[in-house]
Amino acid sequence: MDVLASVRGVNRIFPVSGGEFQALKDINVDIPRNKLTILRGKSGSGKTTLMNIISGLDAPTSGTVVIDGVDITKLSDRKKENLRRKSFGYVFQSVSLIPTMNAFQNVEYAMRMAGIPGDHKKRVEECLKMVGLGSRMTHMPAEMSGGEQQRVAIARAIAHHPSILFADEPTAELDSGMAAEVTELFKRMTAEENVTIIMTTHDVGLMDAGDMIVELANGEQVCQN
Amino acid sequence: MLGVMIRKIWHKKWMFICLLLGSILLTATASSFPMYKNAVFNRMLQDEFSEHLEENGTWPTRFDMIMVSKKNDKGVAMTNMEKFTRGLYSKLDVTEKETVMYYALASADAHTTAQRESVKDFSIRLSFLSNLPDHVRMVEGQMYSETGLTEDGIVEVVVSEKGLTAMKMVVGEVFEFRGLKGADGNALRIKVVGVFEEDDADDFYWQVNPDEMQMMAFMNEDLFRSYYTLDNAKKYTITCRYFALFEYEDIRAEAVDDLIQQTAYYAEESTYKGLMQTPDYLELLREYKGKESRISTTLFILQVPVMLLLCAFLMMITTQMYEMENNDISVLKSRGASRGQIFRLYLYQSLLLTGIGAAVGLPLGNLFTRILGSANNFLEFGIRRELNVVIDKEVLIYTGIAVAISVGIMTIPALKHSKLTIVKLKRQKALKKRSWWEKCFLDVIFTGIAIYGYYNFTKHSDNLLHSALKGEALDPLLYVSSSLFILGTGMLLLRLQPVLTNLIFMIGRKRWKPASYASFMETIKNGRKQQYIMLFMILTVSLGMFNAVSARTILQNSLNNKEYVDGADLIVQETWKDNSAFLGSDPSIEFQYYEPDYGKYSQVECAKLHTKVLNEPKGYVAVSNNERQNTQIMGIHTREFGEITKVKDALLEEPYRQYLNDLADDAEGILCSSDYRTNLGYKVGDYVVFYNEKGSKARGKIVGFFDYWPTYEPETITLDENNEITKTQNYLIVAHLSVLQKYWGITPYQVWFKLNENATTDSFYTWMKENKVSLKFYQDRAKDLNLVIEDPLLQGMNGVLTMSFIVMILLCAVGYLIYWIMSIRSREMIFGVLRAFGMHKGEVFHMLVNEQIFSGIYSIAAGLGIGTLAYRMFVPILQMAYSTTSQVLPLEMITKTSDMVRLYSVVGMTMAICLGVLATLVFKLNITKALKLGEE
Repeated sequence: MDVLASVRGVNRIFPVSGGEFQALKDINVDIPRNKLTILRGKSGSGKTTLMNIISGLDAPTSGTVVIDGVDITKLSDRKKENLRRKSFGYVFQSVSLIPTMNAFQNVEYAMRMAGIPGDHKKRVEECLKMVGLGSRMTHMPAEMSGGEQQRVAIARAIAHHPSILFADEPTAELDSGMAAEVTELFKRMTAEENVTIIMTTHDVGLMDAGDMIVELANGEQVCQN
Repeated sequence: MLGVMIRKIWHKKWMFICLLLGSILLTATASSFPMYKNAVFNRMLQDEFSEHLEENGTWPTRFDMIMVSKKNDKGVAMTNMEKFTRGLYSKLDVTEKETVMYYALASADAHTTAQRESVKDFSIRLSFLSNLPDHVRMVEGQMYSETGLTEDGIVEVVVSEKGLTAMKMVVGEVFEFRGLKGADGNALRIKVVGVFEEDDADDFYWQVNPDEMQMMAFMNEDLFRSYYTLDNAKKYTITCRYFALFEYEDIRAEAVDDLIQQTAYYAEESTYKGLMQTPDYLELLREYKGKESRISTTLFILQVPVMLLLCAFLMMITTQMYEMENNDISVLKSRGASRGQIFRLYLYQSLLLTGIGAAVGLPLGNLFTRILGSANNFLEFGIRRELNVVIDKEVLIYTGIAVAISVGIMTIPALKHSKLTIVKLKRQKALKKRSWWEKCFLDVIFTGIAIYGYYNFTKHSDNLLHSALKGEALDPLLYVSSSLFILGTGMLLLRLQPVLTNLIFMIGRKRWKPASYASFMETIKNGRKQQYIMLFMILTVSLGMFNAVSARTILQNSLNNKEYVDGADLIVQETWKDNSAFLGSDPSIEFQYYEPDYGKYSQVECAKLHTKVLNEPKGYVAVSNNERQNTQIMGIHTREFGEITKVKDALLEEPYRQYLNDLADDAEGILCSSDYRTNLGYKVGDYVVFYNEKGSKARGKIVGFFDYWPTYEPETITLDENNEITKTQNYLIVAHLSVLQKYWGITPYQVWFKLNENATTDSFYTWMKENKVSLKFYQDRAKDLNLVIEDPLLQGMNGVLTMSFIVMILLCAVGYLIYWIMSIRSREMIFGVLRAFGMHKGEVFHMLVNEQIFSGIYSIAAGLGIGTLAYRMFVPILQMAYSTTSQVLPLEMITKTSDMVRLYSVVGMTMAICLGVLATLVFKLNITKALKLGEE
């Protein structure tokens, strides 16, 4: 298996009033390259915390996360930020589009952030077409449905050719048909865009779509297959 | 519901503190207006009374009635008059100070019973003065007894010192009347038991000086009444005089209308009108009323902008609050709360806020009023005379209105918002509307009206002068014009702001870094949300500048004007004695003045320098054969005059000193006002022949022309009988005093003083008393300047503008901070997203700084421009309307750097604090938490 990221011995402890709360306990996971990995678990199981640690948004209390041979837990904030900018893409559970930019501008903004030179128009259009919104490029977020907004967010997350796309419960606010569609889209993207996708979900129905499933319960890894 | 409300308030405490602040300030400002107005009116009223007392020496609030009781009237009129007099106080609702009744029989002949060389009859008027024993001191003998009779039944009388001499009586002497009968039917006998003088010459009991009552013998009042009034009234003709004096100190400004009405009725309509002199105070009160309405309107108009700003502040915070709570409202609704319940929630909440607001605002208003009353310049407080501030009905009404407005502003939006359901809310969020004012071009309309007003006032400046001269209230359009101009252009620049930002954005469209790009998008698309706070900022800066400049300019120009017109620190002229008493008897004697000793002036302690100045206001020059031009003539000692007076060199063609030197260099030289050159065609080197009022000639050679000279007003503007404005050119010749004295002999002169630093004229009064100096003219510059500062209109203007300035700055600072903190809070999720995408903290901060530049810096720049333009345009007009006399000196704009420093440091500090808060928020921003926030 071509491993892109490997998580070793990760613990995450949050200070809470009157003590500590261990959100993750000794997690060891290998993420395969250009595949769709699903982190599954009930809410509070620690799946989002794990994803935040892999994506560099959060740091583990102990343990390492090695991506393409680099231990990102040892990187400076600035280096992590640059990594997120250039190599990562994000899709969040709720609407995360910038409300003052239309669909096109939102997608193009990710490329601007990544510092990609040259004309962005072609790539933006390509991404929006991929998510099926080629005809709604000038619409403002407020003028689109939740599903449409989420698809713009997906287009935005891949526009700058990231090596990993993180999706935190991207389907939670969508109906089941739409959710299946999004998962299908992710699956297609791993092949067409050469991108590794890590997605969290609590939806059992989407399990089949994943190339690999990591199941968590109470901060502990239940299984990986 | 109370629980829900309190939890809600606690949750958004900052916002509620803001609302509370707005509500407190609104109540305080609204209530301070009537408090200040009433306090200052009462002070003004008392000043008018005491001024009248000082100038005329008569008690201002006095009725003076005289009546002759005829025999056939049988004393009815007398009884009625007494009743009327005693009833006056309660009818006028005033406090009695003194009621003096003074009855006298007609003169009657009497003869002495003593052995005397002269046997001529005495002519005596038997009379009484009410309460006489309480107001006199006996110089000889004693006062008449309580019965008024001696043991052997002779009527006891007392006389004044002058009366004793005039009637040639002796104390103890008994007189017997020929025509008057006593109680027993025999001829009346009186005994002079004492001689009196007034106990206290300043006692207002003495409405008639005892010296004027020379032929009077005063007897006991009760005895007089039993002898000559009531049943006996039909036998005698009695002259009755009534004086009713009442206290003016406790007349309140609110009672003036009633007092005028009642008094006018008595003096002009009632049956008593023929018997009384119109009381002095009637005219005084009528004049006062005119001033009152002028001041009242002006102060009200001045206060409008800050009130509107306060309302706008409340509206702004309320809008923010509803926007933040839209979700809560729709959730409440979906859980089954009715519209009424939601409305009530907001109503109770606003009642609680405004209730606290009123409770704190009222005492704060009281404090504001005291501060207002001590304003002696813009942002300067130093007047020690405290205002007597009272919370009366009017104050409560104003407070009530302020409370109602606050409640309205805070509750009315609830009507609209309580209709929202989640679906509607989402739909509404999608709508991007232009502001209503942009759609109806309110900015253009306001600016249009203001510019129309400006042209109208500049074009017809005479109208302004006219109403200022007549003491009419300020044309509201005048002040409103400047406010509308500021508001209108401010809004116009707001409309332009997105356009300008867009333009800049387009220029570098491809090159903008992510941070700048995001801030541009935010400003262009979401900028309208900031309009309120931007307008606030613009108004604060521009109104602040405008207020500062107008307050300072108007006051300072009035002061400069007074200082110039007064000429010197102190000017006096003694009453000169002359020989006119001897002129009639001997035609060979020439009229001559006796010059008082001039040497004594060097003993005036407070004076540093003094000089003689001959001032002939009614001289003339011959223009053609039979035409004269009136001119003022001034004779000076050049060196001394130069040391005591000054004129700004900028006002003159050459430096002031140069004029004096030119005059000093030429023994027969004179200086002339420039109308001699422009209107009469004289030039330097020409000789002018001029005359004093009596027609005595003098001659001089012109060595220079001036536009301004101490005390000289180039033109006088007055209203003639037809209420038309007349401008009279004034002519002035300044010559050597010695030369004029050579031509005209000894002529009365004034003495001009320069006082020591910080000296007051108190010691001058002592000096006057010591040297028994009687003055014909006295002018104290410090006192005059103080009158200008304490002028209710000017002081009120200073006070109101200062208060507005402070309130505006406070609002702007708080408003700006709260707006930004709220707006950042509401965008936390987006910042989380951006940070997750890898945006550095610095970049996020940079983005916010950019937004601040587009809104804050733009607003400050706009405010600066508008403020400068507004004061350049409108202050000259305002000055015209405010100045009580016409402006002699050219108007000078007074901009004080310290005002601007204050203004900008507050604004700058606000922005700095704001940036500090933003930086903290950004650097503390927890990405994962911010994103969670979005998941809720």
